[in-house]
This record gives sequence, C-alpha cells and structure tokens, in this order.
Amino acid sequence: MRQLAISITICFMTVFLCETGFSQNNEDKLSNLNIDLDFKVEEVIKKPYSINADIEAEETIGFFDHDALLFKQKYLDKKEEDLYWQSDFNLTIEGQYEQDKIKLYGRFNGLFYHNVDEKWAIERKVEEVYLSFQPSFSLAIDAGKKVHRWGKGYAFSPSAFFAREKNLEDTDATLEGYYSLSADYIKSMDGIIKTIAVTPVLMPVSRELNHEMGPQDELAWGGKIYLFSFDTDVDFMFLISDNMDDSIGLDFSKNLMPSFEIHGDAALVKDYHQTVIDEYGNTSEQEYKAFNFLLGLRYLSNQDTTFILEYYRNGEGYSAQEYENYLTFIERGYDQYLNSYSKTDISKSKTYAAPYNQQAAMKNYLYLKISQKDPFDILCFVPAITIIYNMNDQSWVTTPQISYSPVTNFTIGLKTGFLIGDHKTEYGEKISKAKIILSIQYFF
Amino acid sequence: MKKIFIILCLSLFYSMTAFALDGNEILKKVDRNLNPESFEMYRKLINIDPDGTKKEFVMFSLKKGKDKIASVFLSPASEKGRSTLRIGENMWLYIPNVGKPLRITSLQSVTGGVFNNSDIMRVDYSAEYNCEKIKTTEKGYTLHLKAKHRSVAYETVTMFIDSDKLLPYKIECYAASGMLIKNLYFKKIKDFGNGTIRPSIIKTDSPLYKGYKSYIVFANVKTRTLVDEIFSLNYMHKIDSLRQ
Repeated sequence: MRQLAISITICFMTVFLCETGFSQNNEDKLSNLNIDLDFKVEEVIKKPYSINADIEAEETIGFFDHDALLFKQKYLDKKEEDLYWQSDFNLTIEGQYEQDKIKLYGRFNGLFYHNVDEKWAIERKVEEVYLSFQPSFSLAIDAGKKVHRWGKGYAFSPSAFFAREKNLEDTDATLEGYYSLSADYIKSMDGIIKTIAVTPVLMPVSRELNHEMGPQDELAWGGKIYLFSFDTDVDFMFLISDNMDDSIGLDFSKNLMPSFEIHGDAALVKDYHQTVIDEYGNTSEQEYKAFNFLLGLRYLSNQDTTFILEYYRNGEGYSAQEYENYLTFIERGYDQYLNSYSKTDISKSKTYAAPYNQQAAMKNYLYLKISQKDPFDILCFVPAITIIYNMNDQSWVTTPQISYSPVTNFTIGLKTGFLIGDHKTEYGEKISKAKIILSIQYFF
Repeated sequence: MKKIFIILCLSLFYSMTAFALDGNEILKKVDRNLNPESFEMYRKLINIDPDGTKKEFVMFSLKKGKDKIASVFLSPASEKGRSTLRIGENMWLYIPNVGKPLRITSLQSVTGGVFNNSDIMRVDYSAEYNCEKIKTTEKGYTLHLKAKHRSVAYETVTMFIDSDKLLPYKIECYAASGMLIKNLYFKKIKDFGNGTIRPSIIKTDSPLYKGYKSYIVFANVKTRTLVDEIFSLNYMHKIDSLRQ
C-alpha cells in the first residue's frame, strides 16, 4: 500500500511537471460558430427571495487496516471484512429572503447514507439560519446560527475561536455554525489604515444551545478587529469565557508578489487543560498556555499550478512520546482481551480516545496542496494532490484527486486517500489504510 | 524640390500634433468614457472552447474611483454567491462554502477562459499604466502604455483609440518578455443613458489559447453613488444585497 501511495503521488507530481512544458495548440474551429451575444438583464432581475441547492451522490470504498491499533480499539477481533462501502446522498438547500434592511438566511443539510454497520440512516442539520439587520452600509447586526470562519489558514485555523474545526479531508466544505449575536462595523479611511472592521460576538452556551462549545451554562464573548493597511490584511481576535479557555489571536495575509502570497495565524490559549494517558493507563492532568500557529504560502505558477504550503504548530497537541504511550496502552488492552477476554483496558482507552483520535492530534504538521487548472487543454478539469505530513512521527497521508465539470452546474470527482506510517505512528495506526471516493454533484 | 519641402512640412506638422497630445490625459478621458467614476453594471461572460462548448457567467459589479471594484456571480447555480473584490492591486475571492475571503492574483481566472482576473476586475487603465508613447493614426491614436507596478497583469499595453469617440477599439496586452498575451476587441457601441456611450461587447483571443474565445457583454451600466465601506472584506458576502 505504501508503494502504491508513493507511485500515485509521483504520478500526480509528474502530471504537474509535464504540464509546465505542455504547449497549447488547438485548431480554431470557431470561425463559423454563431454566438448569441444578447444579454437581457430581466433574466437576472432581483427578487426578494432566492433558493439554491446542490445534490451530491458519493460512493466510498475503504480498506481496513486489521493490524492498526485504532482498528483493534474499535472492532477488537470482531470484524473480518477487508473493505467497507458507504453510499451517501447529500442535499444542501440554501435560501434567503430580503426586505429593506432585513435579511433572513438559512442553509440546511440532509445526509442519507448507507453502510454495513448502520444500514440506512439519515442526518439532518441546520448549518446556518440567522436574521441580519443592516441599518447602514457600515453596520450590520446578525442573530442566529452563523459560521464565524476566522483565520487565514487553508488547512488549519487556530484563531477560529467561534467555529467548528475544519475537516482536513475537505477543507472547503461548509461548516455548521453556532448560535450567536454578532455585529459588523466597517469604516473606510484615507490614512495609513484604509479599512477597519470590528466584529463583536456574544455566544450563549447551555445544554440546549452551543453545548459543544463548553461544559457549563454561560455567555461567552469575543471579537475580531480587521485592519487593511500597507496592502496587508491583519486581524486581531479574542475569546473570553468563564468555562472555556480564554484565547487571543492574530492573523495576516499579504501578496509579496502578484503570484506569491504569505499568510499566518497565531493563537494563545490561556490555561489549556490536557489529559495525558501513559502506557499503563494512568492519567495525568496538565495545564499550560498553549501557543498554536501556522505560517503558509500560496504560489501560482505561469502554468496555472497552485501550490499551498503550510506549517502548523499545534500547541494543544500531544508529543510523539505521549501519543506513542496512548497507542501502547491500546496494544496492551488488546493483548489483555486476547489473553483473558477482558475489555477493561481497551474500554478505558476509548474513554480518552476523542482528543487522541481526532485529526492532527500531535504537535507539528506540514500541509501541501498542489492543483493544476485545465491541464493538457482539458477545460474545467482539475487534478490535485494533498499531503499532510506529521513531523513528529514521520507518518503522512496523501490524497490525489481529480474533479471535472463537463457541463455547467455538474461536477464529477474521484478522490483517493492513502495513510502511510510505521507501527505506533498517527497515520500508521488509523482504522483504514486507504480510501476511494467517487462523487457526482449537481447544482440547481 | 517644392514637393519634397511640402511633404517635409506636412510630416513636421503631424509630428507636432502628436507631441502636443498628452497620452496620459487621453487615457484618463478614455477611462471616463468607458465608465463613469462610480457606477454599477451587469456583465455576461461567455467562454467558448475550440469544440464550440459554451459556458456563461452573469455578474453584478460595482466600481468606485480609479481602483475599487466589487462583483458577485448571479449565475450559474454552481458559482452563485461567489464574490470578488479588488482594491488597487489587492484581489480577493469569497466562496460561500469556504466562508472567508481568500487572496487571489491578477493572472488567475475565477471563470476560466481567456479573461483573467485583471480583465474581469478591470480598474481604470490610468491607475495601472503610464503612456510612454503616442502615435496618431488614420483612425485616431495609438497609445503605448507601460505598467506602473510589477504587480500589473500586463507589462505593456498598446491601445488603439478612435479619436472621434475617444474609445478604444482594440487593445494588445504584452508580457514583460514582449510576447503578445491577448487581444481585446471593443465592439457594438451602445448608449447606456446618462451620457455613458461605450462598447457593449469585449471580445478576446490569445495566441496562448488557440481556438478559445471569450466575450464580456455589458448591460445596465448606471452611474451610482457608492460608499467606500462596501469595498471591504467584511462586505463581500453581502454584495448581492446592493442590487436594486
């Protein structure tokens, strides 16, 4: 599997390099084409309401890694299949109604899926629904469920204090918001600072509302100040809470050259609390100031190849030794089960699984994405490859993918994922070692 | 001898006329004739592949001053809600799914096809270029323009101007190496009202994309008073609400 992943990765890299030297040489067949250049604005006349939707069918084939410790933790020895299949039908509906200075916006998602474990199941979610009041061009007040996507990182967002974590497998996917009351005040000026924007946020946390954010009822608050100065975007943000970790952060983004952008995010989390488990299952608590940051760049070549590279320091993550201890404890638990059918230790390891099994659970990561627009003159065809490299244990995941839109509003995608790593490494011990996803998406 | 003297005098007269002309002033007038200082417009972008396949995009745009322009895609459905913002040489793209603005560059193309971002988010030519040379021609003037900054998409531009209307009918865009990147043809002059009389179609082709053609069709170019605040990152997801 490692060799296959490396071969596919090299193939994709070769495509990007080949494209560099590829010359476009098409015959002009358009001389007799009759082109209608009539444009009636009535076709796009504004209505007070609008509704859009997209539907996506997706088939996933996963390859289990029976030797992986997280596989053993989840299934013990009770799963014999090498493959798993999942069929997903995803419908997203987005609508808005606007009247004078008031706008109601909503985005709803329904996922109907099938796999061997859960059979047919349905998940519904209100991703966003909020009322927006805009008394002037400078001021807007929003109340409801809304996504506050702060930060400049493509893959990681350490300063997105009021947002859910991005899915590293699909960083552009929509997120579910949190219920909040927020405002946006924008002021443009002629001095050194061209624009300043202030975004205060109030977020109630209770058992019924935003319970994922914190353990107890409270009203968390925070904000973001955006400045545009010297052709640079800069944000300062903070979160203050009784029960969550108080945090401050900043981000920036700037084009050093027309095709070369640099960006960064940083966040300091006060009194970050972490539970660490050792190889025998003993736990200890530690509390410290966690400093998370990323530095990234984006480069567009003359051949329309985009490179995104980010280094991410996860101050809230585990060290290589701490992570290895956790995996060793799972290994002991599995051995205990094989020897005595006792699930005591394996069950205990599951209790602490959430922070350890989450994506990017360790300290240092590199993210690289290379995508090529319209290679070999195939318009609307985009091959891309993403690599996430865990610098602490040298394990990595590579995701070669292609997407193609042969006709307007219709996209076909093929994505593969390979997880590579030695014994007791993050990506070497995940439940599956490879994945193939075929998707078809239609917008209307 | 007399004939030679007359020809020399006439040549000198024509040269003097050209010297008397200020290319940068002409460029500013061309900018104002192409669009008012502050305005809104609808545009349809049409990309045509060599096999005749056509893709269309409809955009609503607002421009203020020399170097601020904001746009939002109205169709097709897959692009709806995407918005772009340009302030000087800074460009951003807002994708509703991503939920935050990302910096983009002038050489990229948010729509694909021959038009790049600098064509789609066109600011005043006089904001980006200095006129280095002007020539008079039978039809009007030819301005040889050089980019003011390295970040401008085309290093040099040759603009062919109809002197009667003070509007361009062709623009050639060159890279720093002197290679021709694309041609822009301005067609079908139309009265949009309020004194705005300008070409309603821009066609482009490029030796780099043989067989590909792209068009921009203009509609409802209207003078509009705009505040600076709408040209900011925090406003990008609300540009559609500015349609009247």
